Amino acid sequence: MKKALAIMITVLMVCSMVFAGGSKEADPEDLTLRMLWWGGDTRHTPTLAALDKYTERTGISVEGEYAGWDGYYQRIVTQLAGGTAPDLIQIDQPWFNELCSRGEVFAEIDTSIVDTSTFDKAFLDGYCTYEGKLMALPTGVNVNTLVIDKNMLADAGIDPEIQWTWENLISEGKKIHEKDPSKYLLAATPDHVRFWFEVLMAQIAGGVVGPDKELLFTADQAEQAFNYIQSLYDNGIIPPYSQTSLFYQRLNEDPNWINGQYAACWSWVSSMDKDIGQRDMETTQFPVMENAVDTGVLMRPSQLYVVASNSASVTESLKLLEYMVNDEEAAAILGTARGIPSSSKALKVLEDANVLSELTVTATNEGIAQAGKPQSTWQMNSEVIDTMQQVIDEFGYGRTTAREAAESMVTSLESTLSRL
Amino acid sequence: MKNKTLKRFEGYAYIGIWLFGFFALQLAPLVTSFWYSFTDFEMIGGADFIGIRNYADIFKDPDFLLSLKVTFEYVLIAVPGKIIFALIIALILSQKLRAINIFRTLYYIPSILGGSVAISVLWRYLFMEGGVINNLLSVIGIQGPNWLGDPKYALGTISLVTIWQFGSSMLLFLAGIKQIPVTYYEAAEIDGASKLRRFFSITLPELSPIVLFNVVMQMINAFQEFTPAYVITNGGPLKSTYLYGLMLYETGFEFFHMGYASALSWILFAIIIAFTLVIFKFSELHVHYGDE
Repeated sequence: MKKALAIMITVLMVCSMVFAGGSKEADPEDLTLRMLWWGGDTRHTPTLAALDKYTERTGISVEGEYAGWDGYYQRIVTQLAGGTAPDLIQIDQPWFNELCSRGEVFAEIDTSIVDTSTFDKAFLDGYCTYEGKLMALPTGVNVNTLVIDKNMLADAGIDPEIQWTWENLISEGKKIHEKDPSKYLLAATPDHVRFWFEVLMAQIAGGVVGPDKELLFTADQAEQAFNYIQSLYDNGIIPPYSQTSLFYQRLNEDPNWINGQYAACWSWVSSMDKDIGQRDMETTQFPVMENAVDTGVLMRPSQLYVVASNSASVTESLKLLEYMVNDEEAAAILGTARGIPSSSKALKVLEDANVLSELTVTATNEGIAQAGKPQSTWQMNSEVIDTMQQVIDEFGYGRTTAREAAESMVTSLESTLSRL
Repeated sequence: MKNKTLKRFEGYAYIGIWLFGFFALQLAPLVTSFWYSFTDFEMIGGADFIGIRNYADIFKDPDFLLSLKVTFEYVLIAVPGKIIFALIIALILSQKLRAINIFRTLYYIPSILGGSVAISVLWRYLFMEGGVINNLLSVIGIQGPNWLGDPKYALGTISLVTIWQFGSSMLLFLAGIKQIPVTYYEAAEIDGASKLRRFFSITLPELSPIVLFNVVMQMINAFQEFTPAYVITNGGPLKSTYLYGLMLYETGFEFFHMGYASALSWILFAIIIAFTLVIFKFSELHVHYGDE
């Protein structure tokens, strides 16, 4: 019996040693840092090259862990929960508050190690600060844009340089569908219909959910937005819901989009390359109504860099972060792998080297000129988004009228917000 | 003496690796998830005991009832569909035909490709509006429905993916058919029994233990189905393919309500156990074993 007990204890000890992982502050000599990001090859290749350069310079090796977008959020949450998160992590801005609210998962940015004077202060305050502490740095600037196929406009007899208004979006836009019934002005997968709803609500009422978890709109205002969306369907500006529902969050996989059946789509500058694919497209500005409360055009960091609080060495991780955002050599290697850099130092390097693609610069400037207030963290909450999407799905499938959808939007959101 | 002690542990050593896997990778998560189902665990941060609140909330959750309804419908379509289909193909493939092994292999291929993501993506392009299936149908003058975009048809279309992977059930049937003594059929033939009569009076009763096994296994799998609904339709349109597994995933890995999700999975476990017991009880009347 005693023997059995001894064996069990030994096994337990071995197990605890195996699962406990590394110690806190390792010797810098044989320190290996880990950095995690998502993206495609255009991001992986320069990032890995920049990390190699860093190792060359400091002797500290950095293991790049990179993946696609699918399952990325699940991955970091699991790693943060299990204490196995990499040292330097790229996260999406909407996750920042949700993750910070779950405990001390990220380290505070020590401004004696990382030079934050190269960043726009409002940007840091608005997007990177949690409860007064700077916990993240933006990788780049990202804005909404309207990607558009000007040849398709010209073919339908629309002036390619048209300034869009909500009125001419319908009066001019319907020419495309009238000329060829299989074509539409705007791509509108269910998530895109939701984006347009949010743009409309920002202009009509200033937003959907405010910073204090309060609804910013009335049912009458939502009805106005739904009526407009209904007229987009009625006039053949956007394709029917049943045709697009299969490509929820996957517009770039929709054959109708790839083959040029839709002329334009809502996008982010950081991901517009994916949407554009092989098509020949340009960007343009969003329609804004007179007396709009806000434009609904979003501007935010492309992504954020954070340092895990249980990093093997927070100090060394912060040094790596400084290198990634402010180093001139790194900036030259990284280019626009994460959008137009937020750090003025890195931006200058790219401007001097003349490597900024014209489309990206134009789109970013167009967006910044139109940018409205940031959405509240509550509006970006995954359950709030899910609730909005469900109401819009019902409406898109014609199960509810504009009035019913508007009322349902109010009651469903109130019920979801009360649970959060 | 020493030798004897060694002998006693020898067996455990053989299954030691399996035991480790079982305890660390199956039993431990199982027990933990049971504990989590009584807490408000949200992945990061601690887990506070909240009694049966998760369970109480679940039964008031309209999404729970909806996903349960969708899942039952799915099980009712997919399980009988798959088993009947597998049985028919097995009957055909049990004939003495030339190159029969090639056909047997061919029919098993869908099961190897299985519920993978690639197949699900392929399915999406086959059945989308203006996809391959509807194009083929239009050649013979049929206007195909919007298979995946119409809430009326989406669940049925998803079930087809499952039914299409009939290979393993088919193999079991095939092996079972081979076991049936030829003398039964010879006797029946002399008595003038028709082919249909022979199937219902000999083949089916003799295969009943295999039918039982297939029904139970396929039902357990069907209740937990996830991939096709997630990849092809993401639960839509209008939640018509919102399977229980999908709700579980969304709750646990998108909203990170792990406590709630754990409770959901234990409820699913209870449902599966209950149905399995009912089927076993029912089988006592209808399943015939050769040695009885």
